[in-house]
Parts: sequence; structure tokens; C-alpha cells
Amino acid sequence: MTDVLRTPERRVEGREKVTGTARYAADAAREGMLHAAFAGSPYPHARVLAVDTAAARAVPGVRAVLTGADVRPARFGRRLLDWPVLAWDRVRFIGDRVAAVAADTPEAAERAAALVDVTYEELPAVFDMDAALAPGAPLIHPDAADYRMLGVTRPPVPHPNAQGHQVHEHGDPAAGFAAAARVFEHELALPPVHHAYLEPRAALVWIDGATVHVVTTNKAPFSLRAQLAAVAGVAEDAIVVHTPHVGGDFGGKGLSLDEWPLYFLARVTGRPVRSVLRYADELQISNTRHGARIRLRTGVDRDGRITAHEARVRFDGGAYAAGKPIPFLMPGEAMATLAGYRVPAARVEATCAYTNHLPAGHDRAPGQPQNSFAAESHLDLIARELGVDPLELRERNAIRAGDVDVHGDEWHASEMPRVLAELRRASGWGRPLPPGHGRGVALGARHVGRGKTSLELTLDERGDVVVRSGVTDQGGGALTMIGRVVARELAIAPERVRVEQVDTARSPVDPGVGGSRVTMVHGNAALDGARKLAAARDAGAAPPIRVVGSADQTAHMFGSYAYAVEVELDRETGAFRVVDATLVADVGTVINPVAVRGQLEGGFAFGLGQALMEELAIVGGRVVTASFGEYKIPSIADVPPLRLVLLTDAPGPGPFGAKSVGELANPAVVGAVANAVADAGARVLTLPISAEKVLAALRGGAA
Amino acid sequence: MSYAYHEPSELDEALALLARHGDDAHAVAGATAFMLLYRQGLLRPSHVVGLRRVRSLGGIRDDGGALVIGATATHREAERSPLVARHCAALARAFASVATVRVRNQATVGGNLAHADPAQDPPAMLLALDAAVTAVSPGGTREIPLAELFVDVLTTSLAPGELITAVRVPALAPGTRAAYVKFLPRTADDYATVSVAATLRRSEDGRVADVRVVLGAVGPTPIRATSAEDALRGAAPDAARIAEAAALARDAADPIDDVRGSAAYKREMARVWTERALRSLVA
Repeated sequence: MTDVLRTPERRVEGREKVTGTARYAADAAREGMLHAAFAGSPYPHARVLAVDTAAARAVPGVRAVLTGADVRPARFGRRLLDWPVLAWDRVRFIGDRVAAVAADTPEAAERAAALVDVTYEELPAVFDMDAALAPGAPLIHPDAADYRMLGVTRPPVPHPNAQGHQVHEHGDPAAGFAAAARVFEHELALPPVHHAYLEPRAALVWIDGATVHVVTTNKAPFSLRAQLAAVAGVAEDAIVVHTPHVGGDFGGKGLSLDEWPLYFLARVTGRPVRSVLRYADELQISNTRHGARIRLRTGVDRDGRITAHEARVRFDGGAYAAGKPIPFLMPGEAMATLAGYRVPAARVEATCAYTNHLPAGHDRAPGQPQNSFAAESHLDLIARELGVDPLELRERNAIRAGDVDVHGDEWHASEMPRVLAELRRASGWGRPLPPGHGRGVALGARHVGRGKTSLELTLDERGDVVVRSGVTDQGGGALTMIGRVVARELAIAPERVRVEQVDTARSPVDPGVGGSRVTMVHGNAALDGARKLAAARDAGAAPPIRVVGSADQTAHMFGSYAYAVEVELDRETGAFRVVDATLVADVGTVINPVAVRGQLEGGFAFGLGQALMEELAIVGGRVVTASFGEYKIPSIADVPPLRLVLLTDAPGPGPFGAKSVGELANPAVVGAVANAVADAGARVLTLPISAEKVLAALRGGAA
Repeated sequence: MSYAYHEPSELDEALALLARHGDDAHAVAGATAFMLLYRQGLLRPSHVVGLRRVRSLGGIRDDGGALVIGATATHREAERSPLVARHCAALARAFASVATVRVRNQATVGGNLAHADPAQDPPAMLLALDAAVTAVSPGGTREIPLAELFVDVLTTSLAPGELITAVRVPALAPGTRAAYVKFLPRTADDYATVSVAATLRRSEDGRVADVRVVLGAVGPTPIRATSAEDALRGAAPDAARIAEAAALARDAADPIDDVRGSAAYKREMARVWTERALRSLVA
């Protein structure tokens, strides 16, 4: 039989999705269900003096109105529990919730929420990261010492308005700078952006006897279960989390928002309570990518080879750190300021600040687009100053086996030189460009995912297999991947493997989708299970044969990639379009060929939006781009063709040698586009690269 | 939904419903703009009167050289109509420039004009073509030139309970050329940063006999750049004269700062795109 992996996959959930029969959390309903609505703060920072709910309670159909006093001291978060379920003494951003209503209809709930009468006393607000971290800045979390941290002790921070702080140093930066022929310094900035997943958040909570049930859009159900257990003071095994199809995540849906007040509303009413977030609220209160300001200083020798590097990275964490799962309370790759390069000596300092903006959290390759935009622009400026071709400068500095990266870690293998050689060839680098065109390059690297999980496999009399896993599929193709790994190992057709995603009561603990881990971790667990099934079968065990497949993926390995992008620039308006793009990606063995292409092309479009247009514009703490009429993302008409070159022969730690692609290729798009526009005549140091900024740069002004 | 939805099949019935419910009623056709405003809580009518079943409001026809587009004709019908294309290709282009095909299949020509969004595409082009709407109310029928229809952002001179039944585009004088250009630096489905609708007719000696220049998305209503027109009328439209007219169009623009650009940038873009539109008309 032909190799399963060479056949384009058929998505296990594809038919349901394209025929509209797929059910999402917003479709979940229960007998007697109530609808929730929330009252949010109109001020970015204020004391809550009094909350009067009399008028809200008088609305016909209202069953409960809760305020901060009813939930105190419940605060939620993925790691640090710093976000009050409902504010009782202080609101910290516009939209911070002060009351929750459950009513017979969504309209009644909304009408009542609008009638909650809150008396505020405004406090000085702080919106700028550096201002927030300055001595004497208004304190946003005076009670931070009381906050709980899940699983670990909170690392110390240098300022009460710091969410997280990290410093890394390796080699001898002072000596490296002293030895440098030239030293360059640049500062770049990026605004917060939203994931723009199709499906807004939704949740349904009900309490059945001693058991709390949650239907959610959260992509990590076991993590939500642990958080809810901590917030509600309920045992984990008294909570069942059901995650149906997730309609896009991009990291944002690791944080739950509505589930917490819904739990309290369900408890007080004894009824199921559901909410579906409006997209305007998605854009105003949810978990954005962090805005950032990044200053980089790099020394190079006469040939442009990096001798030392220094970085100061500031992230705008917004009002709460609740959206960040890693113990440092930073975006995951906060320190990766020169990802993919040999950096013999470095000092990198990163701080994530509390501000009175909406809270920031995880978004596809957290921290990487920020650092990639800064680093790739910085290196391009250096190449230009040195008179070295930008691709050539990258070839000289690309990390090779045995080199150390910006974290001081040695790479035992590196595909980066091959990626760049292939990019040079496939993009036709150096071919003369028409007037008004510019060409840019940027590279990137991302670790393949790590983590552990187990899943359950059953082989029946006919030789068919059922796999039960607690992993969610947020559109990445996890369930299809698991099925194909099992099918290939057992040499059966993929249709003979059924993969079921089951709730937290019926699955071994699972880390959920995220951190690019699923193919590495769940794929290896599926492979392990398939091997156990084969062994049992070959040993003569009688079906049904049931085994548990497990994996603990700890390998530290990277996927490498690079873009070449060509733009055409209208010098009279500053508008430009990407007319040609090449992506070379080191992806290892491909399990789902269609999904791999989809993730890489989608990552390109995702990065293109961030480069060209995406910005959650915030004025005085208020998001002014609170609809997709104002917050634009590329439509298919705006995405140019992408020439995609896959390097598949350098095996990764995943099943059959797979690596990850979900978060591989979006970060470097911004730098490649910025560098192409610069090549056409306009260097823009802040995102998005709007036509207006380009025109200002062309005319010699600041951009 | 917490409003009563009425779907009359006769115009009189629709007018009677609107008269009966007064400020509590809102008329819709494709309802694309209505739903956006409703979801934002900006409109809260208790009665919504749907007009799509009123047959007499639909259709596109030629009326003795004038083009008459029924109020409930969709943008998609208008952009694909041979009558519209024959009358003025730039007008078909303006209809085709609105949002996405999904929206254009639903949104109607009359609804677009009644909505009075200055960033929309058809109003500027129709104003440049000297169009007028026919409006009816229980009190009778009247013609409202587009220049008098648009009063402010989302505000028209229609009386309460008065409905647009059609838009009438007069016959173009022979030799008239028209252009519609839309500056979209972000996405293909965005609102214009600036748009320019222009018509121009030259006399036999090559001088400009007649010209109209209308700017979209840079003011509370579409703005007719009369100073730019005056600079061209009677003149030979060479590059210098067009540049001069375009500079006057920049001064006529009255934009606000928003995510599509600063007011200063939009004014400058009004100049650039006016120049481009006019150049295309004399090329």
C-alpha cells in the first residue's frame, strides 16, 4: 500500500465544518438555560465606590445580578491569579467587569447590565510602558503580594508595575563590543494586535449535583479545569470541561474570560448559564498580542559578523498578567531578540509592564513577531550601513551546528545555512528589479514543541482503531494528524482509525493545543500507542486490544525558515503591495501535507496583516478599532501568491521525523516586508507599515 | 430580535406603517447598514419595515436617456447591469467598489443613499453624475438632487417617514467621460481612505466644457470640489492646469484623523487622486 503520508489528508472534521453541521460552544444549550451579560468599566483606572443593582434586578426576566462583593476574593489567571472575576475595589482598564447578570433572554440580560449603576472615583491612569515602570508611577496592583500563582512561586520583579522581568547574559558582551569594528543601535515599536479568529469566545456552565460542567472555547481544557478548581475552590475531578470544535485560537483562547462569572451565576441561580462574547468585546477586552518597544545594540566585526549584542525589550502587558501561562509572566519568546543567529556574547533584558490598557496574552508565537521585527530591521540597517547585501549579511551570521544562539544555547544541528541558500536560489535573489520595487529578507527560527501527554487506543476485531484523546482541535488538524500517524504505523488506511476528542472526565490529562507541541507530543504518543497495539497483536492478544500511548517530548530543537519578499511602491501615496514572496521552511517529515501548507500560507497572511495594517488603536485607554470595519485583516484578495519551498529531509523529534509548523512562519513576515519597503526607499520603524508612514519616510520625515 | 418585522408588498402599506409608528419605526431593504448600527446599539426601533417585497421599488431601466435605478436594486445588480454599464462604466465601477460581493448581493442602491455614509462609493459618483433621488411620503412625491440629499454624516434631508424609491441619473452630454478612483492602502474590502469621482467633457477646441469633481471619505458628506472645477472649466487641461485643480481639491477636502490616516495625509491624498482621476479623463 502507498505511504499514508504521501497522500493529501482528509480532515476528520472537514465534512462537518463545510456542511455547517459542526457544533461550537456557542451552539451548546441546556434546558432552562439563562443568558449572561456583563457591565464593564468606562474608565481605564478607577476606584469602585458603590454598585447599585436595584434597577438591573427590576428588569423582567432577570434571575441574578452579581457584583464584585459576591465573588470576592476570586481572581483568575492561567498562572498568576490577578484578574478579579468581577472588580470589587478597583477597575484597571476600560471594559473591566464590575457586574454580571443572568436573565431569561440575552436582551433582558443586556438591558439589565446597562442599568447597573456604579459610582467610580477616577485614578491616574498609566498607558506607556516606560512611564508605568518609572519611579513614583501610579500603582496598578497595590495588593500584588496577595495574588496566588499556580504551581510555582512568582519570580521577583524590579518594580510593582512589572508583571515579569528577565535578564540573560552569556559570553563577554563588554569584550565583544570592545572588539567590534562598528556598533549599531536602533529602537523599534509595535502596537498590540488581535488574533482575529473567526469564532468569538463562548461558554456554558451548569452545576449538576456536585459536578461543575463547562462547555468552552478554551483550547486547553485541562488547564481550564485546574484554574477553575483553584478559583472556585472545587476539586479538579468535580469539574468536567467539554471543548467542542474551536473556531480558531492562535493562542488567544488559552485564557477564559466568561467562564468565571458564569460559574458564580450558575451557582447562585441553579440554572445553566451561557454567554457568547460580541466581537466588539473581543477587540476591547481580550488577550491581545503584546505591544512592544525594543532597543537593540549590536557590535559587528569588519565583515559584519556579530561580536556582541545587547537588548532592552519592553512589553505592554496591560491591566492583568492573567493571560500568560509561563512562570516568568512574559510572552514565551520575550528574550529571542536575534533568533536564528550566532551570538557569541549577549545581554538581553526584558520587562513586561502593567498598564491601564486591555490585558495582553498569548498570540501565535508569543513575543517572536515583536523581536523578529526589531532584529530583522536592525540587521538590515546594519547591512545597509556596511554596504553588505542583506542576505549575504544573514548568511555570514546564520547559526551553524556548534554555534551558540542569543540565549547562549548551543545548536547541535542547524538547517539555517541551507534555508538561506535555498532562499537565494528560489527567490531569484539579486535579479534586477523594476523601478519602484524593493526586496527584503528576514529569517526566523522556532523551537519545536515540548510536553507530555497520553491517549488511549483500542484495536477491534476488524483491525480498526479508535483513539481517544483530550486534545482539542482548534483548526490545526490535530485529530487528523493523530489518525494518520496510527494508520501509517499499523499500515492501514486512515479511514480505519477514528479519533475522538473527549472531555476531561474521559481522557488522561492533556496539555492542550499550544506551544507548537501537538505534532511532537500527541503525534509521538499516537505512535507509541500504535506500536504497543502492533506488539500486542503480533503477540497474539485477542481484540479488543486497549493500550495507552504516551510521550514526553523534551528534545530542544529548532525549525528554521526565511522569507524573501518583493514590494511595489507608489511613491506619490506611500501605498505598496507585496508582489512576490518566497518562503523556505525546514519542516521535517510532513504528516498532514495540506495542513502544513495551510499553516505556512496562513502564517504568511497572518504576518502580512501585522506588517501592513493591523493595530488595536487605543486612545486614552479605549480601543477605537473595535470592529472589523476599522480593525482590518487581509482578505484573500489582499494576499499575494507565496512560493513555498519545504525542506523535509532534516528529521525532527516528532513522529517519523516531523517538526512543527503552526507558529513557525508568521513572525518574520513583518521584518521581510519592512526591509523590502526600506529597499524601495522608506524605512519604517514602527508597525503597521501604513502608507502614510511610508510617504513620510519617503519625504524624509520621521516614521 | 426585540422588534416587530413588517414586510409589506405595497409601497402605500410601507408608508402607512412608517407613518403609524413614527420614530419607533425604521425602514430597511438589504439591512446591511441597519444591522451594523443595530448591533452597536445605535438604532433601537420597535418596528422594522422591510421593503424588499415592494416590487415597484426594484429594477433598473432607461427612461428616455436617463438611467433609473430602483431603490431596492442591489449593488450587485447595478454593477452587472448592461444599462448601467452603457450609461456610465465608472458608475458600474463605483457600485462594484463597495465592500465585498457578499455585501453587494444584499445591500441596495436606495439604502446606500439613505444611509448617507460619506465613505461609501456610490454617493460620490452619483453626485458627480448630477443624479437625484425620487422620494415619496404620504404627502406626495418629490425629486431631491444628491447635492441636497446629504446633510451630514449618516444624515439626509429625507423627512421622517419619507422613502427613496429610485435614483435617477440624467443622460450624459455626448463626449462626457467619467472616472471613479478609490484609494485602498489596506484591504480590498476597506472603506476608501479617499475616493474621487469626476466627469469631464471637452469642447472641440480641446478646452474643458464641463467638469465635476467630487471627493468621497474626506468630509461629513461627499464634497464637490467646485474650486477645482472652476480652475478647469474653459481651460486647456494640460498637466499644469490639472495639478492646479488637484491642489484646490486638496483644500476642499475636510477630513478627520482616523485609522485610515491623519487629516493632513488624507488631504494630500485627495490632491494625488484628483490629479490621477482628471489625468485619466484627458488621456
